[in-house]
Amino acid sequence: MGALIELKNIEKKYTAGDHDFYALRGVDLEIDSGQMVVILGPSGAGKSTLLNLLGGMDSPSSGSILFEGEDIARYNDDELTRFRAESVGVVFQFYNLIPTLTAYENVALMRDVKDDCDDPMHCLELVGLKDHAHQFPSQMSGGEQQRVSIARAIAKKPKLLLCDEPTGALDTDTGREVLRLLLDVCRNEGRTVVMVTHNASFAQIADTVIRVKNGRVVSTEINENPADADVINY
Amino acid sequence: MLLLKLFRDLSQNRIQFLSIFLMSFLGIYVFVGMDSEVTGLEACEESYYEETNLADLWATGREFSKEDVNAVKHINSVADAQRRIMTEGKAELDSDEYGDEPTMQMIFLEDEGISNLKISEGIPYRPGSSGVWIDEAFASRRRLRIGDQVTFKLENTKFTEKISGFFYHPEYVYYVENLAAMMPAYGRYGVAVFDISEYPLEDIEFNSMVLDAHGIDNKGVMTDEEKAAGRALASKIKNVLDDEEMVVFDKTELMSYSTFRSEMEQHHSMSFAFPIVFVLISLLGIVTTMSRLLARQRVQIGTMKALGFSTGRIILHYVSYGFFLSLTGSIAGALVGYHTLPAYIISMFTETYILPVMKTGFSSLAFLMIVMEVAVSSFIAWYASRRECALIPAEALRPASPKNVKATALEKSALWDKLSFSARWNLRDIMRNKVRSLMGTAGVIGCAMLMFSAFGCLDSLNFITGWMYGEINTAKTKITMEEGTPYGTTMDWAKKYSGQMIENEAITLKAGDIVKTGTLTVLDTGNFMHFEDADRHSISLDKKGVAMSYKMAEMLNVKEGDFFTWNLQGDKKKYKMRVGKIYRNPSSQGLTMYRKTYEDLDFRFQPTEILTNVTVPDSAKDRDEIADVQNTDEMMDSMDAMMEMMYTMAAILITAAIVLAVVVLYNLGVLSLIEKRREMATLKVLGLKTNTIRAILQEQNVWLTIFGVGSGYIAGFGILGVMFGDMPEAMDYCIVVEPKSYLLTFLGTLVLSMLVNQVLSREVKNIDMVEALKGIE
Repeated sequence: MGALIELKNIEKKYTAGDHDFYALRGVDLEIDSGQMVVILGPSGAGKSTLLNLLGGMDSPSSGSILFEGEDIARYNDDELTRFRAESVGVVFQFYNLIPTLTAYENVALMRDVKDDCDDPMHCLELVGLKDHAHQFPSQMSGGEQQRVSIARAIAKKPKLLLCDEPTGALDTDTGREVLRLLLDVCRNEGRTVVMVTHNASFAQIADTVIRVKNGRVVSTEINENPADADVINY
Repeated sequence: MLLLKLFRDLSQNRIQFLSIFLMSFLGIYVFVGMDSEVTGLEACEESYYEETNLADLWATGREFSKEDVNAVKHINSVADAQRRIMTEGKAELDSDEYGDEPTMQMIFLEDEGISNLKISEGIPYRPGSSGVWIDEAFASRRRLRIGDQVTFKLENTKFTEKISGFFYHPEYVYYVENLAAMMPAYGRYGVAVFDISEYPLEDIEFNSMVLDAHGIDNKGVMTDEEKAAGRALASKIKNVLDDEEMVVFDKTELMSYSTFRSEMEQHHSMSFAFPIVFVLISLLGIVTTMSRLLARQRVQIGTMKALGFSTGRIILHYVSYGFFLSLTGSIAGALVGYHTLPAYIISMFTETYILPVMKTGFSSLAFLMIVMEVAVSSFIAWYASRRECALIPAEALRPASPKNVKATALEKSALWDKLSFSARWNLRDIMRNKVRSLMGTAGVIGCAMLMFSAFGCLDSLNFITGWMYGEINTAKTKITMEEGTPYGTTMDWAKKYSGQMIENEAITLKAGDIVKTGTLTVLDTGNFMHFEDADRHSISLDKKGVAMSYKMAEMLNVKEGDFFTWNLQGDKKKYKMRVGKIYRNPSSQGLTMYRKTYEDLDFRFQPTEILTNVTVPDSAKDRDEIADVQNTDEMMDSMDAMMEMMYTMAAILITAAIVLAVVVLYNLGVLSLIEKRREMATLKVLGLKTNTIRAILQEQNVWLTIFGVGSGYIAGFGILGVMFGDMPEAMDYCIVVEPKSYLLTFLGTLVLSMLVNQVLSREVKNIDMVEALKGIE
């Protein structure tokens, strides 16, 4: 399997007053297709910034991000929008569903951005929420909302599924269920899943573990025998 | 799906969005209502003038012979010319609610083709035919029927005619009984048309000629080219007939035409004034509501962007809110406005104007207004959403950084510490939420403005009646003499009733290039006519010299001491004089002088009326030399139709004011309560009582209301200026607002705004401290 994404010498700099602040500095990494990748690090380490760059939601100050050989760091707004629409699915810590749309409608919303989406009902069935299709987010539990969010992300059949602390707002059992779902997406559907978390125990289920600290990648480990979601502790 | 989101968002924020809808609705409702009334009536007017071929020029002031007419017909730009006799007589009808022996304007025709009669019933007029044709407005009020025999009286000669038909006459869309009348009272007087063969007197003297000119048509308003063509033709006619003193005028000098025109223009200006207020408020509503909605949906915007929606799609989504609301509001307003308002105005119009058909019409302007309203609303929605929507997804997904709040100069000043807690809290709240405060004030201004103009309108009309018949003319009764009554006879009547004799004559005035027609009033000794200067301070006129009415001086662009010339209509001799004093008169514009001055100019004093305070018995009316006896109450009655219209107008204005205030203030109140929820919960936790918090909210509301009412007075004067600005030339109305109207406006607005606030602030009691202070996400 070849590299789906390759980051070369990435820097992300913010300027506050006269001071420059580096969220990421000299980051190089490769993510292979079809892998479960966990990015680990404490708060403020630059994990979310890294995830934003991978998903084309932000652009680096310098360096290149090659996605299937194309440098998305050079993309303009329109190209980035198309990239997000075509290739990336996102699962947020707080689900970020549109509160005025039902579960089904939230998933069906993806048809507005991409033509060949999966059937929304099929996606909801995959996440086990077929019966809740016509409920509004406010009528669902956190775990259910997160599963709708996953259904929404996979409806686009993205090559890359990005998850920002997907279990951060959930209790242990629900969190485990969500993780299992994400693993299924990776293993059964062959999608590349990149998950950001501060919970070190997530390393056990990953194919690749990238540790980030103070804006730098401190290590990249390959896990030969990734475990099942059941082993995770919170 | 985004469309679905749009509708769900709309229904979740229905109060705010409903107010935007309502304001768009009201703005377009009033505009389309009035515009389609004006458009429709103008179209009816135009087709009426076209169909009847309203004359382009009128010539009077001499006798017109057959040769004269032929000579004029030979002028290149003359399409046709006809002469006729215009005179005044009486009809002997049974006494009814309109009185007996009505004055009839009599027209004896020689030909047809210019200013034709539009027959409503009976047979058409043809040259040589017998009988009489009577105007529809008079005939219907006096219940006349085709075939009735009516006896007329012209200069003591009686003659009886059978009614052949009823008609509408294009020169009589509007007409009043005499120069001093303020409002028409159709039924009291009428127009009768005969063929010249029926003329009862020995000497046939054609005193009027009507012309159809090339280069002047009856389409739309008279253009400058048409006016120039008219002037050129007038001087040609004078040349051809070798008569410099004759009077030739175009339709802008015709009372019927010009009064209807002014009325249309007045409605036209008003059709713009009101919608602008409502549309502005709807735009402010869009700004506040949209920016709040966007702030609340910031994360949703970030999510949509992260999911692959383009900035353009998202902006389009938010622009649709403004677009849909203004579109549906405007269309609903246009439909309702078109179907209700014009019919109502037209129903009141039939008392004043006589047109064969009055119907509504939809103009391209109304369509343009809707397009503009929708375009501006969409633009404002775009303006309010462009920043939030342009954020990159990573940034939109983060909570907004807190506002950069700096202490203002006031907060740094020593005065600040002396203010009470509630004053400081409210001042800060106003300064930090400028748009919301501005919009609240705008709502109050709009409400006060509408109320103020409603009250001001009634005050001004009441004032004018009192001014006219209480200050300027203090006589109880006016005796109008028959034309040609010998001086001695009039003098006897004046002596008998201790009256003041007055002569009114139609004159033409000229200063520089400006020529106007007006009335000359000549006063004999007596004390029934009083004068006031431009600022309505009492003045007395000089015994010598001539005084000019304020509006006439304005129209001629002259001041006291300036020279001008005047002549009696039909009289060759012109007089060059200086303007003496300038006085105001609401219903008659022209000149006033004393008898002595008049006689010094070699005129013979021929009084046309007598003013007196002594009660004149009704039997006086039966005397041949007396045309009419009217007391002030009767004259005031003729104002009733106008007053009735104004009351309705005032009721509409006040209703609009209430709707405006309630909608805007309620909407803003809801918004501000949502925003202040956490602050108020904090105040509650700190131990402030619910009522104390409500009082703080009310205090801010009262401040803004007081400020808004002040500005509302100014805006109200603006509206009154528009309402009273385009009055017919003969009328000089001034805007008067009584102190009680200021007070009523203030109290009305304050009570409304306090009530709305009181209802809203009940919510403070229900704020759950724990719930409100929980984390935001």
